[in-house]
Amino acid sequence: MSIGGSQLDSSWFLLLGAILFTLGAIGVLVRRNPLVILICIELMLNAVNLTLITFSRQLQNPEGQLFALMVMTVAAAEAVVGLAILVEIFRVRDAEDIDDLSELKG
Amino acid sequence: MNTGQLALLVLLLPAAGAILLAGRGWRLPRIWTKIVGPGVVWASFVVTLVLFINKASDDVTYFTWIKSGTFDVPFNLLIDNLSIFMCLVITGVGALIITYAVGYMAAENDASFARFFTYMDVFIFSMLLLVLAGNFVFLIVGWAMVGLSSYFLIGFWYQRRSAVLAARKAFVMNVIGDVGMILGAFVLFTTYHAITYAGVFNALPCANGKSCIGGDSPTLELAAFLLLVGAIAKSAQLPLHTWLPDAMEGPTPVSALIHAATMVTAGVYLVARMHPIYDIATYAHASVAIIGAVTALFAASIAIVQTDIKRVLAYSTMSQIGYMFLAVGVGAYSAGLFHLMSHAFFKALLFMAAGNVIHSMHDEQDMRKYGGLFRQLPRTSWSFLIGSLSLVGIIPFVGFFSKEQILGAAFSKPDNTVSLVVWGIGFVTALITGFYTGRMWWMSFAGKPSPERPVEHPHEAPSVMLIPVMVLAVLATIGGLIQTRALGFGPQAVSDFLDTVVGKQPWEGGVADVILSLITMALAGLLFLAAYRIYVERTWKPWSTRFPRLQRLLERKYYFDEAYNFAFVRPMDAIADGGFTHVEQPLIDGVVAGTGHVTEAGAGSLSLTQSGYFRNYVLVFLAGACIAAILILVKSNS
Repeated sequence: MSIGGSQLDSSWFLLLGAILFTLGAIGVLVRRNPLVILICIELMLNAVNLTLITFSRQLQNPEGQLFALMVMTVAAAEAVVGLAILVEIFRVRDAEDIDDLSELKG
Repeated sequence: MNTGQLALLVLLLPAAGAILLAGRGWRLPRIWTKIVGPGVVWASFVVTLVLFINKASDDVTYFTWIKSGTFDVPFNLLIDNLSIFMCLVITGVGALIITYAVGYMAAENDASFARFFTYMDVFIFSMLLLVLAGNFVFLIVGWAMVGLSSYFLIGFWYQRRSAVLAARKAFVMNVIGDVGMILGAFVLFTTYHAITYAGVFNALPCANGKSCIGGDSPTLELAAFLLLVGAIAKSAQLPLHTWLPDAMEGPTPVSALIHAATMVTAGVYLVARMHPIYDIATYAHASVAIIGAVTALFAASIAIVQTDIKRVLAYSTMSQIGYMFLAVGVGAYSAGLFHLMSHAFFKALLFMAAGNVIHSMHDEQDMRKYGGLFRQLPRTSWSFLIGSLSLVGIIPFVGFFSKEQILGAAFSKPDNTVSLVVWGIGFVTALITGFYTGRMWWMSFAGKPSPERPVEHPHEAPSVMLIPVMVLAVLATIGGLIQTRALGFGPQAVSDFLDTVVGKQPWEGGVADVILSLITMALAGLLFLAAYRIYVERTWKPWSTRFPRLQRLLERKYYFDEAYNFAFVRPMDAIADGGFTHVEQPLIDGVVAGTGHVTEAGAGSLSLTQSGYFRNYVLVFLAGACIAAILILVKSNS
């Protein structure tokens, strides 16, 4: 892929993907708002997408792009299910903090 | 329809009735139960009559039930004069008794009412299967099923502890007999490789006109003795008799049908059916006669001291079945079966008349609390008197002809010490029978009403209960006229009918038999009257005041129950208790509970790792993913 004649090295994209993924993972770990956690998961998924597409470009292989499309579909489905669960939880109880949902504590 | 279909119809009608009542009976109006319950048995009786009139005789195989290599069990019914005779008694007397039960059980609620008739129809089906079966497998099936229905019906009032205990006792005793019979059938099968009657009998050493000399063998004796175990358990003969008196806990129609008229006589049928075996196995055959005679005397002596009217009748039933065993034991098969029929008439009559009395006395069964019922219950009393005189053996009632034919056959059997001995026992028993029957009759019906009587002015039973009683009273009065051989002349319809199957009695009675039977009748009759002096007029002192020890021995029924308790029940209880405290509790409970404790403790400590916080799980997951990634990297670089 060429933008303005010059071509960026793949490692920049991979670095960005890694940073985004790490941010997402840290977000999932440290944030307590369930909605934000969902968004962070989306961030991680998209970081993976970026990585996939980067490799696809580098290797001149369209399979990576196909995988990215696949991940988007699954991400959409996952978001639907996750949000639906959250809506149900909110309907039953006022849980703004995900640490309140710890009934499975041993 | 041909013979096979008719026989199948006889068998399946009661089964259909039982299925109908079991499925829908308690939801339908009561009138349906009243019609279906006795109706199917009447229908079965009519079909049996058709078979009888057609002179049917056949061995019909319907299908193969089990086929495994050379082992082949057909479902076949043996329709011959013996099985038709038994079917006539079962369905005829059975239908009368079940009709009677419509009145007797009227106080039950709808569900119990239907349950009762279901069990009764199941019983009739099982009994018919027993007598119609043409091979040992179905004989055993029928044999076990009558025991099962007897168990159901003795325990019919399952809220009573005593009824449940009695039912269990009867079942256990019957199962001992079943095991004996099954083993006997095994012995016959392994010896002759046949499971049908025809196959076994044709393979016997004596079959097909071959000589019987030297035909007896230990194997055959073993088989005959094992079958005899089944017979004595079912027929309540010594020493497996203790269940029958307790079985009186069941409703009175049950006592009349199962524990007097039909099921308990199955042992007699069995010996008669197996007569080719017993004719050869002489030791087992003699044992049948001896067991029968001893039981007859034993039971009659206990009947003298019983005060419960149904228990007197129960011991008298044991005693009369003892006579039948005596008869088939000495080889007078048709005489024994004639007594089976006549006993079915008069003992069912006695039980149902006693049921009417019990009904009018509000379930009081103690004869000492009756007294003076003759004027108040005239029809029941007359019927009971006819039954009693038949039991004592007075001309012209049916009991005289059948009992005296047995005694005559035993007395006149040539060159046989055993049959003379059993005749002597039978003679003494006949006298005792006269006495205890007189005691029962006079105590209940004559004299002044007892001050303890529960009902001042009893009412006669409804006609649905009276008519069957009176029909049987008529049969008990005139039934003997079809076979008057005990008097040395006249017809012998029953023997002629049965001789084709069980063989003609090979010796003839003489004049001495007739004289002896008249003497027996006279003495028994005198003792019947003597009971009046003792128990109503009280001019003679009761014998029991003179022999208090004997009285006690008889009241305790010769300590049989105590002996069995000591020999079997208590050791078993001790073993069970020991097993409970020393094996069950420490070992089995310990292992089971220990497994639980270990699991619980392990789960408790493991569950501490479950914090319940979402981020903990994610952290572990990510850490795992990182480790996996590092491992993959290390591995791919090396």
